[in-house]
Amino acid sequence: MTHKDYSHNTKIATLKASSSLNKGYMVFLIPGVLLFLLIIVFPLLANIGLSFTKWSGVGTPVWVGFTNYMKAIRDSYFLTSFKNALLLVITVTTIPTLIGLLLAGFIFEYILDKFGRGIAIFFRVGFYLPQIVPIVVVGIVWRWMLQPNWGVLNWSLKAVGLDTLTRSWLGDTSTALPSIMMMMIWFQIGYPLVIFIAALQRIDPVVYDAADLDGASRLQRYFYITIPLIRPEIFVVVLTTIIYTLKTFAQVYVTTKGGPGRATIVPSYFSYQNFFIRSRVGYGATITTVLTIIIGLVAIGFIRMQIKQEQEG
Amino acid sequence: MLKKMTIILMLVGIMLVGIFVNAEIAFAEKSDVVGTLKIWDMEVDNAFSASWGFAREEFKAMYPNVTVQYELKTFEQMQEMGKMILSSDEVPDVMQCNKGNATAGMYASEGLLTDLTAEAEARGWADIMGSSFQTTCRYNNQGIMGSGNLYGVTNYGEFVMVYYNKDMFEQYGVEVPTSMAEFEAVCDKFVVAGIAPISLGGLTGWPIDHAWYELVLYKADRDLINNYQLLQGDVDFQGTAYTFGAEKFAEYATKGYFDPKAMGVSYDDANGAFVQGKTPMNITGSWWYGSALTGITDYDWGIFLLPGKNLYEGSGGDLWVVPEKAKNKDLAYEFIDLTMQKEAQTVMANAGGIPINADLTQITDPHVLDLNRVFSSIVQKDGLAFYPDWPVPGYNEVLIPSLQELFAGTVTPEEFNNAISIPYNEYKESLK
Repeated sequence: MTHKDYSHNTKIATLKASSSLNKGYMVFLIPGVLLFLLIIVFPLLANIGLSFTKWSGVGTPVWVGFTNYMKAIRDSYFLTSFKNALLLVITVTTIPTLIGLLLAGFIFEYILDKFGRGIAIFFRVGFYLPQIVPIVVVGIVWRWMLQPNWGVLNWSLKAVGLDTLTRSWLGDTSTALPSIMMMMIWFQIGYPLVIFIAALQRIDPVVYDAADLDGASRLQRYFYITIPLIRPEIFVVVLTTIIYTLKTFAQVYVTTKGGPGRATIVPSYFSYQNFFIRSRVGYGATITTVLTIIIGLVAIGFIRMQIKQEQEG
Repeated sequence: MLKKMTIILMLVGIMLVGIFVNAEIAFAEKSDVVGTLKIWDMEVDNAFSASWGFAREEFKAMYPNVTVQYELKTFEQMQEMGKMILSSDEVPDVMQCNKGNATAGMYASEGLLTDLTAEAEARGWADIMGSSFQTTCRYNNQGIMGSGNLYGVTNYGEFVMVYYNKDMFEQYGVEVPTSMAEFEAVCDKFVVAGIAPISLGGLTGWPIDHAWYELVLYKADRDLINNYQLLQGDVDFQGTAYTFGAEKFAEYATKGYFDPKAMGVSYDDANGAFVQGKTPMNITGSWWYGSALTGITDYDWGIFLLPGKNLYEGSGGDLWVVPEKAKNKDLAYEFIDLTMQKEAQTVMANAGGIPINADLTQITDPHVLDLNRVFSSIVQKDGLAFYPDWPVPGYNEVLIPSLQELFAGTVTPEEFNNAISIPYNEYKESLK
């Protein structure tokens, strides 16, 4: 018997022993499991079930098989909603993450060194502030700022003589989605920033000292040491932001309700429209099911990539 | 035999007790009634809130031991959540509800509303409303308005009109138009002067419906209106009326008759622009009249109907409905009754509404008299044509984005009419 086999058997024995010892803890899982079933599993299954029916929300749902899915594939609104979601994912994930990376580096490497802890905290809190404002308030405030006739954006443009750049920001099909992107980016920056600053604090200063001894510049240190070392945090930020962006609802609900035309329609809002306003519950459930599957796939993909990276690292 | 007699005697006994108890309730003083009345409406700072607020106070005085729980909701909230609320157990006892197939009709057909037919006859509401106002109160078992049981009661009328700034009209040397050509000439004059002639809240959405459908109605007749609203007969979306409406709407957008930035402006902001004298005209409904009365202080204003046609958006007003699951229906009827009476109705008139049972001799404000005079003129020529989003539940979710696209010129009038016809016809098919 090899040493390896022995160790394997010991591990199994230990696991067995610990599992019988730990059985008492199972009781404490019950509330969590129940809530998980009640809030996540049951509604999810109900939603999937409803997606195969035609139902107005009252009365008995009628089983229609894959009709709703077939309809969705041909529905240009459905496709546009996912196209818009994809555009949001690309911009709202990459831009705040990049800005967050740069700002975190700047605050940690420069502000902290030159101006001390107080000023660094001031900046960190300042950038994080939008995150604690309720999204509905954010939407209303941005709607004011983007109001075409007296909003502060057009007013500022006019004040500096850039009248030709003034737009009906939320009312023009070409600028409505970019306006919502801007709002979401502004809202989002604080989140990666705070995570990245926390990540930077975790890095062993010895690594930097070694780099300094080797004559690395600040930029080299940042790109060759900092970023590779905080890669796990970057993964988490990107994954959570993608999921957050795919679920975009309130931002659209408060500002444009999917308009003008279909310029800002997103899956969650389109589902809501069908589910609640147009009484097409089955179709609304179909959209949500597709969205859930996509989010699930993205999450699984990312977690796999992360595990692979960790194993390689 | 004895057994049978005993049962009969018992039944008679139970009936007598029942009658006695009922009589007790009927004869009990209103001040002895204890309970709660939950009222939901969607009106604030206007003629309806004034009138119904007055009725609430009357109710409180009449039933001092009943707690009145009043909640203000928004129109959008009720449009979107109405059905969920009505099918839950948390329903109010009496609720203001939008009329038409898409809302009241749908709720009625799904058994969410109490049939008020008997109550309306007994309390005289049916007489007060008359047959024309009952059109939007009655729904058949498919939820189509115009026939069937009475599920709602209305106590006012409403219509869409042009509010205009008399000072600006005078300043730019234009007069109230009497034909479509004259109306367009007025608009042209303002456009040349660099002023957007008509306020429009495109960001909110439904105000665009109103502007567009007013144009459709230029070429529509009563048959088309009935076919469209009642989902019967032939509605040709590529026919004269819809083609004319879409083409004119697109033309007005291109010519700048509406503020070119209108799709980024909310309904409140659009009204605000008119109140501030930034636009000379505002196309909206009589529900805004009270706000105009109190809000416009800097200039003289008036109203006119879009000239050169006989049909206008309008109807009996929103309905009082009693949810099927309401817990205090009798109190709800009492409250509705108060809103139908002369006292509360006169309050509504004075605050700029169009009551159906007011003592108009007590009205002195020329603006209010003008409003009621114009409404009467529409009713007399059978000109109320309802609203475009009524036939299909959630139809606004189709009309609004399509109109926004038509406004932006990204679809042609033909494409627009095609886009709005598909969900309409789908829904019509589903009823068969």
